Amino acid sequence: MIVALVATFLSDLSSFVSENFDELAAGLRRTLVVSAIAIAGAFFIGLVLGAARAARLPVISQLAAIYVEVIRNTPILVQIFFLYFGLPQVGIRLDAFTVAWVSVTIWGGAFNTENFRAGFEAVPNRYREAGLALGFGRLATFVNVTLPIGGRIALPSSINTYISVLKNTSLLYVIAYPELTTTALQIQALTLETVETFTVLAVTYLVLVWTMSALIRLLEARLALPEERS
Amino acid sequence: MRRLFVVITAIVLTGVGLAAWGTVASAREAGLSELERAQQKLPPLPADIKARKRFNIAVKCDSPPFGYIGARSQHAGFDVDIARWFSRFAFGKSNRVTYTCVTTPAREPALTTGRVDMVIATFTYTADRETRIDFSRAYYKATGRLLVSNNSSINSTRDLAGKTVATTSGSIYDRWIKNCFKDTKLIVTDSFTNALLEFRNGRADTLMWDDTVLLGIAATDPGYKLTNDLFLPLPYGIGMKQGNTALKRWVDSRLNLMKKRDLFFPILKNSVPPRQVAPFANNILRPKQTFTYNTTDLTTQCS
Amino acid sequence: MLPDWVEPVARYMLVEGLVGTLKIAAIALAGSVLVGITLGTLLTINFLPLRSLIRLYIEVWRGLPILVTIFIIFFMLPAVSQQLEFDAVTAAALGLILWGSAQVAEATRGAVQSIPREQHEAAAALGFGWIGRHSFVIMPQALRRLLPPLVSLLVNIIQNTTIAQVIGATELLEAGERQSERLVAPAPIGLGEIHAFEIYAGVMAIFFLISFPLTRLAAYLEHRLV
Repeated sequence: MIVALVATFLSDLSSFVSENFDELAAGLRRTLVVSAIAIAGAFFIGLVLGAARAARLPVISQLAAIYVEVIRNTPILVQIFFLYFGLPQVGIRLDAFTVAWVSVTIWGGAFNTENFRAGFEAVPNRYREAGLALGFGRLATFVNVTLPIGGRIALPSSINTYISVLKNTSLLYVIAYPELTTTALQIQALTLETVETFTVLAVTYLVLVWTMSALIRLLEARLALPEERS
Repeated sequence: MRRLFVVITAIVLTGVGLAAWGTVASAREAGLSELERAQQKLPPLPADIKARKRFNIAVKCDSPPFGYIGARSQHAGFDVDIARWFSRFAFGKSNRVTYTCVTTPAREPALTTGRVDMVIATFTYTADRETRIDFSRAYYKATGRLLVSNNSSINSTRDLAGKTVATTSGSIYDRWIKNCFKDTKLIVTDSFTNALLEFRNGRADTLMWDDTVLLGIAATDPGYKLTNDLFLPLPYGIGMKQGNTALKRWVDSRLNLMKKRDLFFPILKNSVPPRQVAPFANNILRPKQTFTYNTTDLTTQCS
Repeated sequence: MLPDWVEPVARYMLVEGLVGTLKIAAIALAGSVLVGITLGTLLTINFLPLRSLIRLYIEVWRGLPILVTIFIIFFMLPAVSQQLEFDAVTAAALGLILWGSAQVAEATRGAVQSIPREQHEAAAALGFGWIGRHSFVIMPQALRRLLPPLVSLLVNIIQNTTIAQVIGATELLEAGERQSERLVAPAPIGLGEIHAFEIYAGVMAIFFLISFPLTRLAAYLEHRLV
């Protein structure tokens, strides 16, 4: 009996997916594109500002600190509202796609700055001193010693931030940017196949997130510092 | 002598007081029973609502002028005023309503799960929705309008040849223009806000959408105005759970009562700026003015 | 001093909005902690079927975006059964509890497993059974280590209550949005003015004032622990 129910449900699911495949695929593509842009952006912002903070560069450090604290202590949904609905009032009219990648990049960048800063600061002093003793200047030491080691230390937390960036793209629903969640809800409103829509939506996100996590754990294992490999 | 004077004054004052109180009381009673008397021949209130002594009504909370939160944190709007009249009709007081804020996709589930008795929330009648819920008679004739800049050469839909129109994809306006305006260029966007942006940026000559939304834009932006013609009427109705015939009879009869007494006109005056009352008076139910739902597909009717 | 429109807007946002936010957050925090600590402790028991089930729970509710979880509770459950119908506030709280409890469970597992073996052995040597050992020796230490992540969780829960805006629950962001829409409408309803910038900046400011001290507290507790 249960087998029959499950079989019916699975066949409903597959017909739902094949009927709505184009829209769902388009939505998924947009999710991935925005996430990719944001992850790349967050990586660079985190690297540069994290380094600046770790090196205590004047002015940049303080400005970066303000940026980090403001973004981390306010909800990302409010940041999205502010960019899309608040900025036009002062003359800055951004379209949905721009707000989409800008908002998640800014959010990811703030968290990643902290990740990289902690990573760089966790590099044992003796490595840096060794670099300086070998005649490397401050910048060269940073690039050749602190960066590779600190970057690896920061890997787990950065990865969690990137996964969160992917999940947060679902919030772009509120500005009707047609990423995966928005597209799925639109399909649900038209077809009223509520259970199928949400099953497909949930499964898609879980597959994306779990795959990212698994890939990254692989990466972590390969990039682990020799003394941490056991 | 003085004592007599005081006693007579006291009796007179008491008499006046009693008379005044009596007049006010009987006036109030007369007012109440006037409303009750007017409803005597009308369908009765469904038993469950009567027992509960309150209505549960879903309204919008962020869609002026139909449902919004006022400056005193109170529910307000055209739809809310209708709810208040229903409360007066049923219970004599306008505040026997528990409001639930709903967003657009949450309106139907609120009915099918019995969370609310009825939905008065800019609920457009469609034949598809009618298969799942019941609609009251139409109570507001929302129409499409054209938003143009003040110096535009477009005065009505007859001037759209060769021009560019912005609207939302999948809307009735989208389908209507594709069917009936073959020499008009069309820009469709995924949301109203983006359609508005296209119009503002000059990529479209006019914006075609619901009258009440465009009204707000025309009212706040002195560079824009609405043309005078109305088209594609899509009336709002009050949504109720399917099969609740007792409630539907009650709601329809009270809407007709409000129509007969022209009660929608003062509600309209509370909701729109004075300049707009006259044109929008064509959209409400009035003693000599009525409208019903269209069951035909308007997007294919081109003349 | 302040423009006229501010007072009623601020009053509604604080009295209805902020109170709504704190209500959802309180329920979500309580639920997350109760369910999470229970699941996290059970996760340390070496019984594979139980561990797998709990692990599945954790990976699902941490893997899904919270918005999707809340949509499932609010829109999908009623489609499955009429009894499973929740209003916006309850649906949001439940969604946050599913996510929050998964976070707490993972943190609890980590905290319990970070207690050195010697503690278990010493307690066993003193005659404590599994329950006694955990109640009197392991859990008190584990709970102390849980404090910094729990404070961080509180901050995250408070910020994530804004997701309830999407299903129309009355919380701070939604309150701001409703007032912003009212102000845009022409008189007699509103002012015909757009104040979205100020209102959303105000919402950000209020969240900052709540979150920043809590974030500092979490950092301080973390520091004290080490």
